[in-house]
Amino acid sequence: MTQAEPHRNTDAHLISDDQGNAVRDRPWIIRTYSGHSSPKASNELYRSNLAKGQTGLSIAFDLPTQCGYDSDDPIARPEIGKVGVPINSLDDMHILFDEIPIEQMNTSMTINGTAMWLLALYVGLARERGVDIADLNGTTQNDLIKEYLARGTYIFPPEQSQRIIAEMYEFCLEEIPSWNASNICSYHLQEAAATPAQELAFALANAISLLDLLKERGQFDDEQFERSVGRISFFVNAGIRFVEEMCKMRAFGELWDEYTKDRFGVKNEKYRRFRYGVQVNSLGLTESQPENNAWRILIETLGVTLSRDARARAVQLPAWNEALSLPRPWDQQWSLRLQQILAYETDLLEYPDIFEGSVVVRSKVDDLKAQAREEIDRILGMGGVIAAIDSGYMKSALVRSMSERMSAINTGEQIVVGLNRWTEGIPSPLVGGEDGGIFKVDESSARDTIASLNATRAARDPERAAAAIAVLQEAARSGASMMEPSIECALARVTTGEWAGALREVFGEYRPATGVDGQKLSLDGERVDALRSRIDLLAQKLGHRPRIVVGKPGLDGHSNGAEVIAVSARHVGFDVIYSGIRLSPDEIVQSAVEEDADVIGASVLSGSHVELTQQMMDKLGEYGAGSRIAVVVGGIIPPDDFDVLFGLGVKRVFTPSDYELIDIMESITEVIEANQDTE
Amino acid sequence: MASLDSIEQDLPRLVHEAQQLDKMAVSRLISLFEDDRLGTAELRSQALGLLDSRPEPTSGTILGLTGTPGSGKSSLLSRITVDLLAAHSSLSIAVLAVDPSSQVSGGALLGDRTRMRYLPSENRLFFRSQASQTDLGGLGPSSFQVCRLLTRLFDCVMIETVGIGQSEADIRHLADRVYLVLQPLGGDEVQFLKAGIIEIPHAFILNKSDEPTALTSYHHLRSSLWLARPFESEDLPIFQTSALTGVGLSELEAEMLGQIQQPGGSGLTTREAYFFDRWVHQEWGRAGGRYLASQLGGSAAFVQQSGGYEAAQAGFSSIFG
Repeated sequence: MTQAEPHRNTDAHLISDDQGNAVRDRPWIIRTYSGHSSPKASNELYRSNLAKGQTGLSIAFDLPTQCGYDSDDPIARPEIGKVGVPINSLDDMHILFDEIPIEQMNTSMTINGTAMWLLALYVGLARERGVDIADLNGTTQNDLIKEYLARGTYIFPPEQSQRIIAEMYEFCLEEIPSWNASNICSYHLQEAAATPAQELAFALANAISLLDLLKERGQFDDEQFERSVGRISFFVNAGIRFVEEMCKMRAFGELWDEYTKDRFGVKNEKYRRFRYGVQVNSLGLTESQPENNAWRILIETLGVTLSRDARARAVQLPAWNEALSLPRPWDQQWSLRLQQILAYETDLLEYPDIFEGSVVVRSKVDDLKAQAREEIDRILGMGGVIAAIDSGYMKSALVRSMSERMSAINTGEQIVVGLNRWTEGIPSPLVGGEDGGIFKVDESSARDTIASLNATRAARDPERAAAAIAVLQEAARSGASMMEPSIECALARVTTGEWAGALREVFGEYRPATGVDGQKLSLDGERVDALRSRIDLLAQKLGHRPRIVVGKPGLDGHSNGAEVIAVSARHVGFDVIYSGIRLSPDEIVQSAVEEDADVIGASVLSGSHVELTQQMMDKLGEYGAGSRIAVVVGGIIPPDDFDVLFGLGVKRVFTPSDYELIDIMESITEVIEANQDTE
Repeated sequence: MASLDSIEQDLPRLVHEAQQLDKMAVSRLISLFEDDRLGTAELRSQALGLLDSRPEPTSGTILGLTGTPGSGKSSLLSRITVDLLAAHSSLSIAVLAVDPSSQVSGGALLGDRTRMRYLPSENRLFFRSQASQTDLGGLGPSSFQVCRLLTRLFDCVMIETVGIGQSEADIRHLADRVYLVLQPLGGDEVQFLKAGIIEIPHAFILNKSDEPTALTSYHHLRSSLWLARPFESEDLPIFQTSALTGVGLSELEAEMLGQIQQPGGSGLTTREAYFFDRWVHQEWGRAGGRYLASQLGGSAAFVQQSGGYEAAQAGFSSIFG
């Protein structure tokens, strides 16, 4: 052995190319999920990110764009440019991609309810620029199942939503062959506390149901269908249990290979490959000691990059301060540098799969696969994902996982450093500075956005726009493809709200099961008993059981927090009116007035808490209910805004650091007691 | 709200504003009718007196919608109310949705509002949730009380209950017309129908009729009805609807409108008698019930003699207590 020449390029620890030369893998696509304020501000951000070495774009849209409202719609106004860029028409797309060569870009769009519209706008942009659309590359997220379950930016009922997705696959396969018409997301399921097995099962069942649908629609011949299987891509999450997460990714790849081969008979191995992008977990990021999140992000990134066989194709990382607010450009740059160091400084990309042959990994992967298969069988047995959504099965399963996670943190069984262990620490210098370490949207940008929307409406040919909408609605009714009519709408300067509104008229709007039933909370013990007695006493004084209206004003659809609060409140003895998501502040106040509620609990995660609270307070004043109905607000709220909210008359503010449910319940009870005494 | 004195002073103003269907006023009065603290009966009596002394008092129709969870009652109600109000500019509707309370904590999750799409600031539509409290599902203990108020303010009161079990009899006595909402199902449905609930409703709504099994379910239901209610002079109406697509809603809405427009109000006295009898049983047990029947000439006579429901309550309490 000592005399032997090293076997060049054939050693097990080297990657070889076709000629047998040792090579280094190409890095994954490095992205940052970003977009804010206005198309112009976002364009500047994208160009500067590309100059810093980012290799793809990942566009964040604001909530009105995601939910299909124009920026000047009353429900949209508090949200313009808050969590992403507002796009009202093709004119905005020209600004957003100014001086960015779209034919060379890999562009990922986090867009779902209006995915077809945004793809139509992108195609419209290409046509007006003279770019061949076959050269476009990228992804529209377009997974409505997880919108119903966790994220909340759905518009249409499941059946119509799935039809839209299918039509996009049918359009893209020949016209834009490198486009991923949808991205099956397990990301948001983990954010909603799905276990690894649930994440695997729900995402794969979703993909299988989509392929079943494509097959059933019969638009593809066998060869085309096989290629369309190859177009299915995934978007996953990576959590802090990084060894298990790595195993989860291997399980994903193996299961997908097996299902596409066995269920769909895909012969070409290339089309059975599990292709995925990743954004690492935000759920586990903490508001307390936020600098620790930098380490969490690094560790989670390892989970999806260490194993070559299960490595992500594209990675985007959150910023360390996400639990505080939207990230600033510097925060995003810091995360970008992490990826660059991992991809270019380390030796990670020089090796084949380093877990090959590991008995432990094999066993863990097999275990996850078995659990996932059992769950997939259950869902398919119910009739597929749509049926499992309609019956509330999947939602309830997730809500239960979320309650279990919260209880584990409450009891200290699950350690979160800086949150429930080692909570004493030196204040972070990172959150100092004049901006307090957080990002604020420039208020004037919303006015500019509305002005440019009005300019588009004034300049367009109204007859062409009206005709385009009529053709779109006709296609929606007749079952013909809506893709070309949508592109014509884009070219005719139809607006986002008009496109979605036209289809809302035909399809209606969906209100899903809330999943608030069947939650399990580990809320018990002496403090709960004491609180129940206190609430019984309060009920006698009030002449009714204390009533709380829980709701989410605005367009942000992350409803799990609000649902946990609703269920906890019932558990301690409140009568709870759960008003659900996507309500205007007026609707929530009207509920509270009609129900003669004692308190409104509003949950806001979009950063619009000040505007939305202001609107609720104004409306309560109009009803003359300002002193009768107290308001408490929960969400991602920077400490600087507490006093603003208290100034508006809010009685309590809860943030992610208030994770003890019993504390929150006692605090709300106090508010009602105090209000009752003063009246 | 907390102190009865403050509501007593406000009462004439509240009643006046409630007649204009002002939401805050209606809401506060409903709370008064739900409140079982001592001294509230007198205030209720005053409020009703003020309302009945109007030259043309409203006498609304009560429509009951009952059915298993998931049959789509809330979605149906949401569409029906909006359609009816859009088509008839003088019509007003109150919805009272009853949900079960937790037997452990006493709290309740009142989720029906999530299915309703509101007309913002439309005073002709009012939605109120109610917890069933310790009653066995179906109606809450104050549902009857609240209906006494709402029928004097709105042309129509729609009550939505999770209807299984013995409380069905209550809804039959409270509502002028009871609709049982069903969804297409398999064989269990037929078993369910045999269990007695089929005898209660005046009409059936087979919702989600866009589902493939709907037609089979319709025929099952029709034949079950022939077996279970052979003595009906006419076939009981079965409406096949879909709250999602709107199929069949216009027929159902037309029938409901017919009910609302029928000159009515006769229901109120029989209703009071029934619920007074129920109240006596609840408060005084079977002994009270026997006393009412044998010594006081029965519920209807005693309520009439006493000069109204609250007076009858006070009278009975002083005699029997």
